[in-house]
Amino acid sequence: MPPFTLGHFSQVKKALAVMIQHNLVKFEASERNNNIAEYSIIHHNVYCLLRYPKYLYMIKRIYGTSEEILLEILLNLGQASASNVIFQSANRLKEANDDSEISDPSALHQSFLKLAQDNFIIRCPKLADNASMQKVPTLVVEEKEKFTVPHLEIGPIAKLLKENATQLGEHSDSEVIWRVNHERFDVELRNVILVNAAARRVDSTAGELYHLILKLWRECSNPDSPTTNALSFNVIKDAVRKNEGSSPVLLEHFEQYLRVLYEDTSSLITKVGDAGGGQFILNYSIVFENLACATLDSIVLERFGSKALRLFRLTRIQKFMEQDQMQNIAMIPAKEAKMFTYKLLEHNFLQIKELKKGTSNFAPVKSFILFHVDLPQQVARTALEASYKGLFNAMVRQMHDLTDNKRLLDKHARLETLLESLRGEGLPEDELAYLSDSMTAAEKSLVARIHSMNDHLTLGQTQADDTILILESYLKFSSMT
Amino acid sequence: MAGRGRGRGQNVSFNIEQLGFGRGEAVPVSVTQPPPLFPTLENRPLPLIKDVEYEYILVTQKDLNTRMRNSSFHLNTAIEIQEIQQIHNPSYEKELPVLWNRMPTELKKSIAKKLGIEKLKTVKSGKKKKIEDPDKIFAKLEKKEIVESEGEGMCDGKEDEDEKEKSDDEKVEVEDDIEEEIDEEMDEGTDYASNYFDNGEGYLDEDDNLDEGEAQF
Repeated sequence: MPPFTLGHFSQVKKALAVMIQHNLVKFEASERNNNIAEYSIIHHNVYCLLRYPKYLYMIKRIYGTSEEILLEILLNLGQASASNVIFQSANRLKEANDDSEISDPSALHQSFLKLAQDNFIIRCPKLADNASMQKVPTLVVEEKEKFTVPHLEIGPIAKLLKENATQLGEHSDSEVIWRVNHERFDVELRNVILVNAAARRVDSTAGELYHLILKLWRECSNPDSPTTNALSFNVIKDAVRKNEGSSPVLLEHFEQYLRVLYEDTSSLITKVGDAGGGQFILNYSIVFENLACATLDSIVLERFGSKALRLFRLTRIQKFMEQDQMQNIAMIPAKEAKMFTYKLLEHNFLQIKELKKGTSNFAPVKSFILFHVDLPQQVARTALEASYKGLFNAMVRQMHDLTDNKRLLDKHARLETLLESLRGEGLPEDELAYLSDSMTAAEKSLVARIHSMNDHLTLGQTQADDTILILESYLKFSSMT
Repeated sequence: MAGRGRGRGQNVSFNIEQLGFGRGEAVPVSVTQPPPLFPTLENRPLPLIKDVEYEYILVTQKDLNTRMRNSSFHLNTAIEIQEIQQIHNPSYEKELPVLWNRMPTELKKSIAKKLGIEKLKTVKSGKKKKIEDPDKIFAKLEKKEIVESEGEGMCDGKEDEDEKEKSDDEKVEVEDDIEEEIDEEMDEGTDYASNYFDNGEGYLDEDDNLDEGEAQF
C-alpha cells in the first residue's frame, strides 16, 4: 500500500469537511470550551459505504428509475437541499438521454416526496438560530419534521434546466438539507432477506404474501422492538384483497399460504392467538437465530465436510453431549468423530464444559467432558470476525491490484476513449485497428484479467456483506431479549 | 518421581486407545514450526453467486467509484497536487462543494491566523503581494503589473480566484483576505520552498521575477 502522509494542515481540514458533508464524521462543541469542536466517526455510516449499490438496487426495484437517480445524486452529494437534488437529477437524466429532452422536474418532485414519505431520506438537523455567531454551530434535531418536504419552487428549476445551467444558485429551501436514512435501509435489507427466505422455503407467491405482511407489520409496530405487534387474520385478508399487485394465485390460495408459513419451523410467522381468525407476529430474534444457524451450518459444511456438520447440528440441538454419545448418535466412526470434534473445537464452533464427578477421596477424580455450542458468544462472533477479515482482505487485494497496474490501466482507458471518439467521427476500421495495436495483445489480456479479478473481488465483498448482515442482525436481536 | 518411566510406562495417566488410535498405529507427527502464512485450502469454496442483482451491483459500484473519484470531493495527495500544478495552470483550484455554513468555522479558516499574521508579514520580501490593499486597488495593481511580468500576474491571479471563492461564502472579512494571501505562501504543499530545486523548465521564459516561493539564494 502506498505510504500515507497527511501533507499540509489545510488538507486535513478539507478532508474533515468532506467527511462531515458525507455523514461519516460528526462534530459537537467541546464541553470545556464552546469554541472548539470535537469530531467523531460514525462507524456504521462508514461501513454502509459498501452498501450503496444495494440501496440503489432496492430503490430501483421498489419504485423506479427517477427515484433511483434521485438517490444516486443524494449519495454523491452527501447532504443537499431538495431543490438541488432535483436539479442535479434532471441534469443527469438529460445527460443520459444525450441532451435530447429536458425531463420535467415536477415528476422528480413527486418521486422525492415518495422517498421522503417512506422515510428513505431524512432531514438533517437544522442550524440553531444563533449558529452563524458560533464558532461551532449547534445543530438541532426536529423530531416532528424529520420527513416533511418543504415547499419547493419548481418554476425557477425548470427555467435553469432549459438554460443548461450547471449550478442551482439561490433557492428558497436551501436551509432544509436532506441525507440518506441508513437505518431505514438497514430495515429494508433485513426485510429483503426475510422475503427471500420465505420465497426459497415455500415458493415465490409465499414470498409475495410475506412481503405484504411485512409492510403491514412495519406500519403498526415499533421498528426497534424485537417482536412486532400482532396482526389479525382478517386484517391480512383485507390487505391482500385490496392490494392491486396480488397475483391471482395468491388471492385464491392465500389462506393455505399463510398456514404453510406459520407452521413452518423457520418461524417466519408465529401464531400467538386465535382472536379475529388468528393473531400473527414476527419474532425477530427467533427468525434471525434460525437464519444465523442456517448460515453457520453452511459455513461448517463447506469448511469441514458433512460429517462435521452432522456433529455440529447434533450438539446444537441436544445442547450438551459427551464425546461417546456424539459418535454413537451421529453414526460416525470413532476416530473420525474425534478428529472432527477437535477441529470444530479448534475453530471455536464447539466449546468444552468440564464437570467433575468426585466419588470418593481415594479414587482418582473423574470428570465429564461435555461439548456444547455457544451460539451467540463464540460461534457467531467468530464467524463474523472471519467475514470481516475476508471482506478486508478482498478490499486490500483489490487496492493493491489497481495501484500496481495503474499505469497500464490508465493507458488502456485512454486508448479506449480515443478509439470511441474516433469511431464516432467515422474513422475507417483499419486505422482504428492500427491505433489499437499500440497496446500489445499481452497487455490487453493482462488488462482483461485485472478487470475480471476486480469484478470477482467486488462481488466477493458484496456477498460477504450479506453474511455479515445476517450475523450482525442475529447478534443485535439476541442481545435485546 | 518414583515410578516415572519405570516398568515400561505402567503408570501412564491415559492410554493411547482413548485418543482413538488403535495399538501400533502411528501417532501423528508433532508440530515443529508455526503454521504457514497461506495454508492450503482443503475444500474449494463455493463459487460466487452471479445473477441479475449482483450484475447490477457490480456496474453500479464501478459507476459510483468513478463518479466519486472524478468529483471535487476527491482530495488529491500532495504529490498529485504538484503533478497537476506542473501540467496544468498553477492557479487551477477546484472549489469544494461543501455546505460551509454547517461546519465549524475552524475548518474554513487558514492556518496563518493561528501563527500570527504579524510575523509572516515581516518575513515576506518586498516583491510579494501588496498585503495592505483592499480589493479595488488590488485589481488596479493587477492590471498594472500584468504588463510588468508574468510572475507577479500569476500570483495575483491566484489570489483573485481565492477571493472570489471567499465571497461565495457567507462571511467576507477583510481579515480573511489577508489571511488568504498569506496562506498562499504556505500552501505550496510542503514546508520546503517549492522552487528550491529548479527543474530547468523556466530556462528560456521571458521574465524578471518568476518566483512562487521564498527561495532566492
